[in-house]
Amino acid sequence: MMLDKFLLGLVVSFASLGVFAQDRPPPLPVEPTGVIETLPERYPPDWFLVHDAAFFHMSDGKIYVIDTSQDSLGDQVKGLFNNVLMGAILQVPSRGEIMSVETFHTRGTRGDRIDVLTIWDTVNLSPVDEVVLPAGKRFMGMPERVVLQTLNNDRWLAIFNLSPSTSVSLVDLDAREVIGEIPTPGCSFIYPNKDMAFSAICADGRMLTVTLNEDGSEKDRNFSDAFFDSDDSPVFERPPIVDGIAYFPGFDGTVHPVAMNGSTATPMAPWSLIGPDESTWAPSGIEIDGEDDLGRIYFLMNPEANGVDGMHNAGGAEIWVFDPDSRRRVLRIPLQEWGLSFAVGRGQEPKVLVTNPVDMSVELYDGLSGEFVRKITGFGQETPLFLWGAK
Amino acid sequence: MMSLIDKLLERRARAAAQTASRRGMLKSLGGVLVGATAVPLLPVARAEGGTPRPVEEGSDTDCDYWRYCAIDGFLCSCCGGSANTCPPGTEMSPVTWIGTCHNPADGRNYVISYNDCCGKSTCGACLCQRDEGDRPPYRPDKTNDINWCLGTASATYHCSTAVVVGVAFEE
Repeated sequence: MMLDKFLLGLVVSFASLGVFAQDRPPPLPVEPTGVIETLPERYPPDWFLVHDAAFFHMSDGKIYVIDTSQDSLGDQVKGLFNNVLMGAILQVPSRGEIMSVETFHTRGTRGDRIDVLTIWDTVNLSPVDEVVLPAGKRFMGMPERVVLQTLNNDRWLAIFNLSPSTSVSLVDLDAREVIGEIPTPGCSFIYPNKDMAFSAICADGRMLTVTLNEDGSEKDRNFSDAFFDSDDSPVFERPPIVDGIAYFPGFDGTVHPVAMNGSTATPMAPWSLIGPDESTWAPSGIEIDGEDDLGRIYFLMNPEANGVDGMHNAGGAEIWVFDPDSRRRVLRIPLQEWGLSFAVGRGQEPKVLVTNPVDMSVELYDGLSGEFVRKITGFGQETPLFLWGAK
Repeated sequence: MMSLIDKLLERRARAAAQTASRRGMLKSLGGVLVGATAVPLLPVARAEGGTPRPVEEGSDTDCDYWRYCAIDGFLCSCCGGSANTCPPGTEMSPVTWIGTCHNPADGRNYVISYNDCCGKSTCGACLCQRDEGDRPPYRPDKTNDINWCLGTASATYHCSTAVVVGVAFEE
């Protein structure tokens, strides 16, 4: 009896095994190890660079490459590269490279200080070269768009220094070496002014413009007339720029256009972002403005900041979009919660990525309709203080 | 007096459209901000007998402490130092920027030097941002947007002090 049961079970088991073997898909192929992903040389318009400055541990800053068109985290995160001690970056698509100025110490938080330009390639997100910079000079602070700028058909990289004396270092990106330093006493940052000049904003309310020779040495310098008072009517140092005109927003909501003519910077007639019933509104935040390929300019606006001392970095509730030629507001983008920084993507249908400081996520909006698209979070970010539309 | 924070927190509660105060970032970062009405007044010095002594009020570990009117950083008082000293083993930056703050205890305005303490990684406690009188970095003498660990052996930022360096001129 026992033997019968055993034999019956054996037959059933073999029969089941045969059926299962017939239904199973073929086994997974053996996979190679050591495969590393790559990225396209030119990043799509929906991609953004998210600069997490790691405010609580600044030696571990990161720049995430994020595809904002995707729904799932696995598809959104394309990779990252590092930027140490509150550095600055600039993507240069003509070279297929991202410039990253950063600082190391030989013993982590101590030891000899090394300031370096690290050059990352956009396809592999790998450091392909570096240029050691004069130590102790490069600007180290909250991320800015006006710290790095290419000149001379993207052959030179200009780097803003604040030590706290101010100057601009010039790096030859072909030779990978520092070729000079141009003092800019009393004036800060680097604003593009055609291909062989740059401008800087000065504490006395003027713009300095320096024109360069073919070898990178200084050819000429001149100052504009003063167009603001840094005590009583300060402007933000971060203007959107369209067609060679930089639109400096004032703390009070006045816009000060400055034409970058190649050899000079010429202040133009100011105008106001604020309507008659909007007197409490003012620009506010860290990365407070931007521009798109349609020629429109964007400002992060705070409903309570106008005239309130200390509110200029607080962030805002809406993004206002203007046609700078007609000086008309063409769109209001009410944010889901709050915004601290934002960047505008490129293309004819621009997207707007906003840092929400309440939960430190980034949120995507449609730059044409103003509609909220999606929240992107959980990709390892802690303090995504600065955003860039990828190129 | 209701502080700006309290006003904003109240507005936040009332406002249906927007919910973040100016310190939204700091709150989300785990800052230690509390409503000013919860802070006990702690006299640092009291007059005894004849000659009046200088007075201050408030806690130097609180973001609403009067000296911090223009600060943006981690308070050294929460990091092993105090409002005017650096924590052990750090180095105080010799160059810095200044603000002008009103001491409500004596009714005077004081010049405050916000020297950073450097050489160790970020303290991480008591992040405080008030920004009164702050200007963009094109005014280095009045900006808190840069790392002031300049002229120090290490550029690594740890925390910020608020040192009284003089009585401000009366306007």
